[in-house]
Amino acid sequence: MSGEGKIVAGFVAPHPPHLVYAENPPQNEPRSEGGWETLRWAYDHVRRAIDELKPDVLLVHSPHWITQVGHHFLGVKHLKGKSVDPIFPNLFRYNFDMQIDVDLAEACCAESEAAGLVAQMMRNPNFRVDYGTITTLHMVRPQWDIPVVGISANNSPYYLQLGEGMEQMERLGVATREAIRKSGKRAVLLASNTFSHYHFKEEPVPPEDMSREHPERYDGYKWDVRMINLMREGKIREVMDLFPQWVDEAFAEVKSGAFPWMISAMDYPTIPAVLHGYGSVIGTGNAVMEWRLAA
Amino acid sequence: MSIVSAFLIPGNPLPFLRPDNPPWAGLAEGARAAGKALAESKPDVLLIYSTQWMAVLDQLWQAREHSTDIHVDENWYAFGDLQANLRADVDLVHACIEAAVAAGIKSKAVDYDGFPIDTGTIVATGFVNPTGEIKAVVAANNLYHDFAMTEKLAKLAAEQAELQGKRVAVLAVGGLSGKYIDEKIDIAADQFGGENDDVHNRKLLSLMAAGDVAALRAWLPDYAKATGADMGMKHLAWILGATGGFRGAKTLAYGPTYGAGAAVVQFEL
Repeated sequence: MSGEGKIVAGFVAPHPPHLVYAENPPQNEPRSEGGWETLRWAYDHVRRAIDELKPDVLLVHSPHWITQVGHHFLGVKHLKGKSVDPIFPNLFRYNFDMQIDVDLAEACCAESEAAGLVAQMMRNPNFRVDYGTITTLHMVRPQWDIPVVGISANNSPYYLQLGEGMEQMERLGVATREAIRKSGKRAVLLASNTFSHYHFKEEPVPPEDMSREHPERYDGYKWDVRMINLMREGKIREVMDLFPQWVDEAFAEVKSGAFPWMISAMDYPTIPAVLHGYGSVIGTGNAVMEWRLAA
Repeated sequence: MSIVSAFLIPGNPLPFLRPDNPPWAGLAEGARAAGKALAESKPDVLLIYSTQWMAVLDQLWQAREHSTDIHVDENWYAFGDLQANLRADVDLVHACIEAAVAAGIKSKAVDYDGFPIDTGTIVATGFVNPTGEIKAVVAANNLYHDFAMTEKLAKLAAEQAELQGKRVAVLAVGGLSGKYIDEKIDIAADQFGGENDDVHNRKLLSLMAAGDVAALRAWLPDYAKATGADMGMKHLAWILGATGGFRGAKTLAYGPTYGAGAAVVQFEL
């Protein structure tokens, strides 16, 4: 690589396994009749954006790799196996095969430690990658031909006060940005989280029956719309100011850290975000959004 | 009731993977002692609830006849791999599902190749049922089920076992205080993560030892709040529901697991 690396775009890229299930890719065992089309059409825009941007690496922060001690990074060059979702095993039994950008992961880990965070590399070759990471990556780039950096969700936003946890995620974002800059690579960031996370307690039969799909709670929906509008207006500081209230009142999954990590890594972009689509999955609010930082 | 023994077993894998580490050696030894006591009670089936198998939609029950995958814990992967060896009592699992549905609790069987049996279940059965010969019913921890609902599920499962004439050992798999130390430590010097966790944990264990179930129930919410207890101690609800209460308890081992509290407890029925 020559010159300084850069973050060319960041996406909010939620991970309901229902989206993979609905698409019926060969990697996933269960078959469906479709469903959640509006969100899957939204991801079509992301796939085209990735084609245009030609990134060297995709970095994903997943709420479903929860770590108690520090921030962890996938650190095995090639990870392969079957990831069965422990919550939705009827929908997601995915044979994954991914290349990890270990050099960049190590750089992110080192920058995180230099920033005072607890960080470590995951070196176990038998590690089963979580369904959040896989779903986001599949929906963004089903060809699996771009190396990835997988980042865990340290439990600090739940274990500590929200503000302390968010401060860690924002420092992680700065560390990620610095590692990318030094790498010389073109990077895309993926915040794998849902917005409002109120959801159904029982699963419709069949799960893809879209006549049953709707936001679980109106207040959660209204919060999502409010925040999406602010993002579309480029008012990211207002978004972050409202962040604690959004988390509290919409039970928003952004609490797990992916969103503040990405926004911090992009240095709080004031360009308007592009909304590719919004829809509910078992009642949760899911937005697919893009901040394009470079051509 | 056909309950012949009941135990609290830690779900944290560290004592299992590193029994040579002094702070965890006692927990490993205690869990093996629990296994010996369990074997002496001659159960036909294990009734297991693990805080680490989390569900959010419906109540899930493990129905795979024999699960044998290698499992790598998402936190403690550096300490080694875990080998699942779990045989489901399929008849009893389906009876539990039917009974739960009849009781208004939507339930589903889980029977999938590659399903990730949770760390807690693998560790607990690795200690007390290392050959995997004793069949099991494993119920998920639905995050939206409270203490009372968990108790109801356990009671219902125990009743189904009794209807099938089976001798039951109850396993509640989970920790005590939940405060991990969020930094790299010398594991040989492991200690509790919260300032007063040790005091609170010991009080919990003493209430169990006294068999004072009423006092235990009354104090649990305060204990859970003060210590960030593992899933609000819903695994204890599993014991109470399945056994209908206990006369006392013996703490076979107690200690920290990277800050979080853990104990091996044998209940007197």
